[in-house]
Amino acid sequence: MTVQPETPTAGETGRAAQPLPTRIWGGLRHFARRSPLSAFWGCVALLIVAMAVAAPVIAPYPPLKSDFRSMQKAPYEEHLFGTDQIGRDTLSRVIHGSRTSLIVAFAAVLLGTTLGSFWGLACGFLGGRFDIVSQRIIEFLQSFPDLILAMAIAMALGSGTGTVIIAIAITRIPFGGRVIRSVVLSLKEMSFVEAARSLGASNMRIMLFHILPQCVAPYLILATTHLGVAIIIEASLGFLGVGIPPPAPTWGNMLADALNAGIVPPWWLVLFPGVAITITVLAFNLFGDGIRDVLDPRLRGAV
Amino acid sequence: MYSYIVRRLAFGGITVVGVSIIVFLIMRIMPGDPLTAIFGPEGMTKLTEAQRQSYMEELGLADPLIVQYFNWIMDIVRGELGRSFFRAESVGEMVLRRGPLTAQIAILSVILSWILGIPVAIVSALRPNTAADNTARVISITCLAIPGFWLGMLIVLGLLFGFGYRAPQTAGGLGLFEDPGTVLQIIIGPAFVLALGQAAYIARMARSSLLEVIREDYVRTARAKGLNGRLVVSLHALPNALLPVITLSGILLGFVLAGSIPVERAFGTPGLGYAMFTAVNERDIFVMQNLVFLYAVVFVMLNITVDIIIAWIDPRIRYQ
Repeated sequence: MTVQPETPTAGETGRAAQPLPTRIWGGLRHFARRSPLSAFWGCVALLIVAMAVAAPVIAPYPPLKSDFRSMQKAPYEEHLFGTDQIGRDTLSRVIHGSRTSLIVAFAAVLLGTTLGSFWGLACGFLGGRFDIVSQRIIEFLQSFPDLILAMAIAMALGSGTGTVIIAIAITRIPFGGRVIRSVVLSLKEMSFVEAARSLGASNMRIMLFHILPQCVAPYLILATTHLGVAIIIEASLGFLGVGIPPPAPTWGNMLADALNAGIVPPWWLVLFPGVAITITVLAFNLFGDGIRDVLDPRLRGAV
Repeated sequence: MYSYIVRRLAFGGITVVGVSIIVFLIMRIMPGDPLTAIFGPEGMTKLTEAQRQSYMEELGLADPLIVQYFNWIMDIVRGELGRSFFRAESVGEMVLRRGPLTAQIAILSVILSWILGIPVAIVSALRPNTAADNTARVISITCLAIPGFWLGMLIVLGLLFGFGYRAPQTAGGLGLFEDPGTVLQIIIGPAFVLALGQAAYIARMARSSLLEVIREDYVRTARAKGLNGRLVVSLHALPNALLPVITLSGILLGFVLAGSIPVERAFGTPGLGYAMFTAVNERDIFVMQNLVFLYAVVFVMLNITVDIIIAWIDPRIRYQ
């Protein structure tokens, strides 16, 4: 005999009867109406993701191909964003940079938040000595500013895409741990958990089937709100020379290249990668805000 | 109050020990031994086994990890903070020479962030959801998305092309009082860039906190007894609304120390952040180990200081 966890939320009952596509479409319309600004920036974020996926098709030149007839040229018709010191097209490099940036950000946030969330789930549910020790460790991890911890880990592991992902993921773990733990602690006291327990459900069953599904919303909120930070950390690591090593273009190492190019870096090499970072971070931040407001207005400012 | 301070410091002490263990583990147990970090993967293959051994012995890396850890802790206690692999200067000397500049940048940026953030917050909170409030919101959200080091590069370029101006270059180690003009020119750029991001957070926090406080009974009482609006806000509402802002500002100060690494790189400021940049590029694990630890300790101490200040201002916290 199973018990359906009863979680009444306003407006949920009516929509549940409709087929899935209609529900998703309705949900999106609801989202757009609730926060048009976030919906707009959500579209921008989608466009950036599309750009990253289709980078080889969109980019006018291969990002690594140097053209020695046009070196360090200011923007003109053939190279809309200009070229760098060895004649590589800046526009193509910015487009390809979105790939690395997004792959690293998504992978790091997914990895870090997931690990942190399971850790938080275990802490909140098990409690006791495990929880106390875990909280201390999380506190130690949070005693480092994100960037410094990421720098140290990235340096120790040596440069590469995988290490940058791990370095950023580790800085995201404490957030998942903290937030999900507090959610679980309050869920544990709810009557549906008590009901399940009184029916003889095991700890494992309660944790996986009754508490875990309730953690999905805060998990999604956490993941989306941390994307922007992850992108900035990735760019900073690239800028400091511990990110993904050249020649692979990332926005961070393009800026570092520009600075290393000479005493006075050409303005087009500085301007465009930075604009790309700013727009991407802005889009993901505002989209994340919107998701948070729609999924759980109570978490405003908590995550 | 004293018991609160003692308790807070004790917890801080435990955190510092934990932090030192984490730093040590990151620098030693991570894949690839420290020599790979120093010589790079290609350099590693050129070393003979005997050379490797002698380097390991010389650097004290051949000892068991526990012994290495305690040696490091003893170094810290003696205030030496280890030695750079590439430079004559010890890390302790480096911190003393370059630290003040970064500290000045951090403090100036906090001051600037309050100057920029609080007035914006007051305007936003007094007229919520008006055009002014929305503009402030858009600006602060944008400020949070702009990477500070990029803005720094733009400012340097803009000043150079627009006015032919370049901040004076020094080797660092200047006190503010020896040569205030030069130092101010060096620190104002990084401080401003770092202040923008903080100001955005502060404006948001101060706005929401003010909006809450304005609804309190004592504010209504002050209005009811006929005080004018400006006095009510500045004398009754604002001081109480600033408590969470002080906490936030302290936390942000720690993040500014981290943020100053790429920003100092962008401006070419010879502070501690730039030293960190150099160390990470030279893969100088001894300098990194000590600097990362130092930054983390400063971060922990800032949090403790803020907690104590808040407890001192707000007696309700002490008695919890």
